[in-house]
Amino acid sequence: MTNFILRRLVLAVPTLIGVTIITFVLLHLAPGGPALALAGEKATPAQIATVTHELGLDKPWPEQYVTWLGALLHGDLGFSYIRQQPVIALIGQRLPQTMLLMGCALLVSVLLAVPLGVYQAYRRNTAFDRTASVFVFMAWSMPTFWFGTILIAVFAVTLRWFPVGGLQTIDTTAFDLPSRIAHLVLPAATLAIVSMAGWSRYIRGSMVEQLREDYARTAIAKGLPQQRVLFRHTLRNALIPFITLLGGTVPALFGGAVITEQIFAYPGMGQLFWQSATDRDYSTLLGMTVITAVLVVLGNLLADVLYGVVDPRVRYD
Amino acid sequence: MTESAIVLPVDEAAEPPRRRRARITPVAAISLVWIALVAIACAIGPSLLHISAYTTDVAHAYDAPSAVHALGTDGLGRDELARLLEGGRITLSVGIIAALVAMVIGTVYGAISGYYGGWLDTLLMRIVDVLLSIPTLFLLLFLAAMFHGNLLALMLVIGATSWLGPSRLVRGDVLTLKERLFVEAARSIGAGDRRIIFRHVVPNAIGTIITTTTFMVASAMLAETALSFLGIGVRAPTPSWGNLLSGAQSDIFAGAWWLILPPGFAILFSVCAFNFIGDWMREREERSVVGM
Repeated sequence: MTNFILRRLVLAVPTLIGVTIITFVLLHLAPGGPALALAGEKATPAQIATVTHELGLDKPWPEQYVTWLGALLHGDLGFSYIRQQPVIALIGQRLPQTMLLMGCALLVSVLLAVPLGVYQAYRRNTAFDRTASVFVFMAWSMPTFWFGTILIAVFAVTLRWFPVGGLQTIDTTAFDLPSRIAHLVLPAATLAIVSMAGWSRYIRGSMVEQLREDYARTAIAKGLPQQRVLFRHTLRNALIPFITLLGGTVPALFGGAVITEQIFAYPGMGQLFWQSATDRDYSTLLGMTVITAVLVVLGNLLADVLYGVVDPRVRYD
Repeated sequence: MTESAIVLPVDEAAEPPRRRRARITPVAAISLVWIALVAIACAIGPSLLHISAYTTDVAHAYDAPSAVHALGTDGLGRDELARLLEGGRITLSVGIIAALVAMVIGTVYGAISGYYGGWLDTLLMRIVDVLLSIPTLFLLLFLAAMFHGNLLALMLVIGATSWLGPSRLVRGDVLTLKERLFVEAARSIGAGDRRIIFRHVVPNAIGTIITTTTFMVASAMLAETALSFLGIGVRAPTPSWGNLLSGAQSDIFAGAWWLILPPGFAILFSVCAFNFIGDWMREREERSVVGM
């Protein structure tokens, strides 16, 4: 097991290096470049040249890349000149908020998707199944920000059950748990809706497939109650590939967080990424992409390990 | 997709009689009709309407739907119906062209990877893995901010960030197709790799390709709306469903429901229709493989 994890971590190194190379090249292809953004729109060519030289931007790309990568290995993600803060500190403030949001969204979508998918498979090809499928497709096809706006209009503006946005009420600076939870409900629901749709569809599909298998037919034939076959036999097998799917969902969650955090003015990674993209804050963009890629790799690794825990047929040697 | 289908061993010499194909489902039929109607309305509507989507009339801002303005007017007094039809042209073209771009890249990439196999396959698929570890929206946001304002660039950017999934699906198909007898037959009469890939293997993967393209149109349309919401999609005053809807976010408090509901439902129903058609085609594919 330890061996397997170590091997997977070593295999992840080229992936991460690839991510840094791609991001680095992309950022330097941008018109204008970081020097112009730093010196300001009205800077004279001489000022731009000074800034360029000070930041080492006049050195060849490979040299800049190696310098940056060396610093990265020492835990230094660079310095955001636009925000006047180290990138690692910026991410440190934002990442926990986004992880919390993503965790809640993940929980909500699994708790909705699994029961719905199982019930749809149980009642497959009935009016309930077809109706539910249509609604699932609608949820899948909805622009995220539109769904978020509808939630705000209904639950925040009209019913006043939840706040419109933010992290917690601004009248106190102290940590306020009930307020934090209330501020999480609508964003988490918004972020959950898209993955919920895809997953319930997936669970339904693999449950139907499992119910056709010989072992399921045997279990039903020998007179086991339906629920027992569903939850003890087929759901377990249907969940195995689902775990891989969950592990691979991290990038989509980060993408969704960009929009969700924008709607709800939630101070997380997504919002920071959007702001950095509009400000051309290259060091922050680069740092965030690297951190995200690390989390993606860890998510996949976690899924692989869990896969083996759930499925005793998998061996790690 | 192909992973979930059980491919039964089929004797090539005795190809079984044509499998019973799934009939068109009511939902898929409605979806096809909806897309046809929307496409026709957006294509000929603007020329029939006699009201420009760009003429502002501040005296008639936020007019509710009336005989003159069937869907009311927006905050600048522009006719909402005209903007909706014009926006449909833009959003549908973005969706379709971006999907085609994604599929061309994905098909060529996946076919080469699957056909040649070996170290090239490993390398190409590792690159896909690397790109998949960067959230698509990050790439999209970055590229779209770089080329903001150019409609053609928007289509290319959305296409260029959505070919990863399709390339894997095409590769999966090619891996099985290249072992088939007709490939060997083609090789035995001296066909080159390029000819085998693009004349023999890829045409046989056309089912997967068309199905995936349909889903891609849906997701490209959603990408357009997301980018417009983030302020880097189609640039005003050109209307698109995405920026009509995101522009209406502030009108929600003015009570202008005619600005919020029509573009919202236009996007929802059209994206949904493409997804339904894609789903029906996928089911059809799987049945023809499993032979149920």
